[in-house]
Amino acid sequence: MSLDAIKKATLAGAALSLMAGAAQAQSVRVTVAEYSSLTGPYFQEAAAAFEEETGTAVEIEVVPWDVLLQKLTTDISGGVNADLSIIGTRWLIDFVSEGIAAPLDDMMDADLTDRFIPAFLEPSVMDGQTYGLPIAASARAMYYNTELMEEAGVEAVPETWEELVAAAEQISALDDETFGFGLQGNEIETDVYFYYALWSYGGELIEEDGTSGLDSEAAYEAAALYKSMIDEGLTQPGVTSYSREDVQNLFKQGRVGMMITAPFLSNQIADEVPDLPYGVAAIPAGPDGDRGTYGVTDSIIMFENAQNKEGAMEFLNFIFSPEWRVRFSEGEGFLPVLTAVAEDPAFAEDPDLSQFTGLLPDARFAPVIPGWEEIAAITSDALQTIYLGDGEIEPTLNEAAERINAILQ
Amino acid sequence: MNRSILVNPYVLIAPGFLLAAFIILWPLYELGTIATHEVNRFGQLRGFSGLDNFMSVIRDPEFLGALGRTGIWTLAIVGGAIVIGLPVAMILNEDFYGRSVARVIVMLPWAVSLTMTAIVWRWALNGESGMLNSGLRAVGVLDANVQWLAQAATAFPVQIMIGILVTLPFAITIFLGGLSSIPDDLYEAAKLEGANGWQIFREITLPLLKPFINIAVVMNTIYVFNSFPIIWATTQGGPANSTDILVTYLYKLGFRFGRLGDASALSIMMFALLLLFTIIYVRLAMRGERS
Repeated sequence: MSLDAIKKATLAGAALSLMAGAAQAQSVRVTVAEYSSLTGPYFQEAAAAFEEETGTAVEIEVVPWDVLLQKLTTDISGGVNADLSIIGTRWLIDFVSEGIAAPLDDMMDADLTDRFIPAFLEPSVMDGQTYGLPIAASARAMYYNTELMEEAGVEAVPETWEELVAAAEQISALDDETFGFGLQGNEIETDVYFYYALWSYGGELIEEDGTSGLDSEAAYEAAALYKSMIDEGLTQPGVTSYSREDVQNLFKQGRVGMMITAPFLSNQIADEVPDLPYGVAAIPAGPDGDRGTYGVTDSIIMFENAQNKEGAMEFLNFIFSPEWRVRFSEGEGFLPVLTAVAEDPAFAEDPDLSQFTGLLPDARFAPVIPGWEEIAAITSDALQTIYLGDGEIEPTLNEAAERINAILQ
Repeated sequence: MNRSILVNPYVLIAPGFLLAAFIILWPLYELGTIATHEVNRFGQLRGFSGLDNFMSVIRDPEFLGALGRTGIWTLAIVGGAIVIGLPVAMILNEDFYGRSVARVIVMLPWAVSLTMTAIVWRWALNGESGMLNSGLRAVGVLDANVQWLAQAATAFPVQIMIGILVTLPFAITIFLGGLSSIPDDLYEAAKLEGANGWQIFREITLPLLKPFINIAVVMNTIYVFNSFPIIWATTQGGPANSTDILVTYLYKLGFRFGRLGDASALSIMMFALLLLFTIIYVRLAMRGERS
C-alpha cells in the first residue's frame, strides 16, 4: 500500500469522525475516573438532570483509575480527548505546562470560586490561574481496631510513633494470625505510606534547596523505624506484596491493629463488616511533635481544545452545587470540598470524618513538579529494597535521592 | 488459456498484505517518528532528536535487568510448555476411555482470559489468605505461610509456572495436530521390527513432529515475549522492579512516567529483537529440514 493510499484512508476515517462530531457539537463530553461502583451512576444521573435543566446533552465516559492517565495520554496525542476530565491534581502541572488544560478564571463566576474550601482549591491554582476544580478530596488518618487494642491491653490510642510501636508489640503478641501495624509495601502509594513517618520525623519530600529529602536524617530514621517493625514481626509478613487494598482487607478481617489510610475505608467497613469495632485517630507524631498527613485532591479540568467550553463550564457550575456534592461525597466517602457541604449535618456530625477534617491543617499535598510519578516510583523501589533487606538504609536512600535530584534539575 | 488478472498471485495476496500493512507498518512508522523526536508526555512532537531516546533507554539501569529477565521468562515458558506439552499431547493422542473429556480439560485454561487467570492466581498466592498457602499447609508441605509475591526469588518462578500453564493448551493443540498426521503404519512396522517405546519416540515421533515443534517455538516465543497480564496482575514488576520484563517496563515508561519517546524507542528495539530471533530460528529450522 502506498503512503498516499494510507493517507486517503486515514483522511476518510477522520472525515467520518468529524461528521459524527458535528452532529453532537452541542453536547459536552466528560471523562470521569471510577472511584467506586457508584461513580458511573452518579455522573449519569447528574448528566440527565443537567440535560433536563439546560437542554445540553452530556456524555459521560467512566474510566478505571488505573488506566485513566493512559487513556488521557492516548486521547490527547490523538486529539480526541473529551471537553472535561478528572485528573489527579499531581498530574496537573504536566497538563498546564504543555498547554493542555485551559485556565478557568475568565469563565468562572466569583460565586463558584467562593464555594470551595480554600485548602482544597489551592493545589489546582498555578501562577495565579485556576486550572482545575477539586472534585474529590481526601486525607489520611490512622484506623485502629478497638477490640484488638482492648484484648492486648493497650490503654490509650497511640499519639506518637513510640507509643505505636509499643501498642503494636502488645497486639502482635496476641497470636500468630494478628499483626500490630499494617504496613503497605506494594503498588501505588507505597511511597506515601513512608512519608507519614518521614513527616513525623521532621523531614520533607523536597527540601528548601530543591533537592530530594530522602537523603536526610529524618528519612533514615523513618525508614529505620519501619524496617525495625518489619524485622520484629510487628507488621504483617511479606509487606512488599501488600498493596493498600490488601492491608485494608487484613484490617477488615480484624487481623491488623492499626493502619493509616483514607476516609473511604469507613464506607467499606460499613458495607462489608459493619460489626468491626474501630476508631479513627490522627497519624502519630514524631519525637519533636511533628506530624503530617497526606492530602490528595483530584481535579476536573477543561481541555484547551474543548469543543464546547461554555456548556462544559455550565456543567461544572451544575455539579459543584451543594446538593450534588453532598450526594457525591457521601457515596464515595471523600471529604467535602465545598464549605456548604462541610457544614451539612451528614458531614459535620460524622465522628470519622471530623477526625480527618481536624488533620487538614497538617495536610501536605504532593509537590507540584513535573515527573512526580517517576519520583514516587523511585522512592517506592528504594523502600521495597529496604523492606526486603536487600539494601542498607542509608546507601539505598542516598542513591534514590541522587536519581530524584537528576529529575528535579 | 487466458487467465484473469484476478488470479494473479500478487492480486490474491494483496488484501492480506494491505491489512497487515495497515496494522503493522503504519504503527511502526508512527513509532519511529516518536522515537526519533523529542516528545512531551502527551505524545506531541517537539523536535528531532536522532537516537537520543534509544541511548537513554540503553543507559537506564533497569533496562538490562528487564532484558535479562525477558530472556529467562521466554526461554523457561516456551521450553517448559514444550517439555510438558509433548508427553501430554502423546497421551491425549492415545485411544483411551474419556479421552475427549481429558482433551477438553487440558484446553480449558485457554478459554479463560489471561488477565482473569492472573488475578485469580494473585488471590491464591496471597500470603495470609491465599488458597495456595492454606492448601500446602493442610497437606503438611508448609508449616508457615510463604509470602509468594513479596520477593522476586519466589514471585518470578511462580509467574513462570503460571505462564507455562496458560501456554500449554496452545502447544498441545499444535502437537496433537502433528501427531495425527503421522501414519499409523509407521508405528506398526516399527513394532514388528521390535523397536521399543523410546526408539519409536526418538526415530519416528520426534523427527516427524519437528516442523510442528518449530511452529510451537516460534509462535510461543512471539506470544510469551510480549506477554503482559501475568506479571502485571500479580506484582506489577515489583518489588523494586525485580520481576519486570521488557513489556511491563515499557508500560511503566510510557504510561506511568510519561516518557513516550523512550517507550517508543524501546518498542522498536523489542520489535527488532523478536524479528531477528524469528528470522534466525526459521532459517535454522529450514536448513535442518533441507539437509
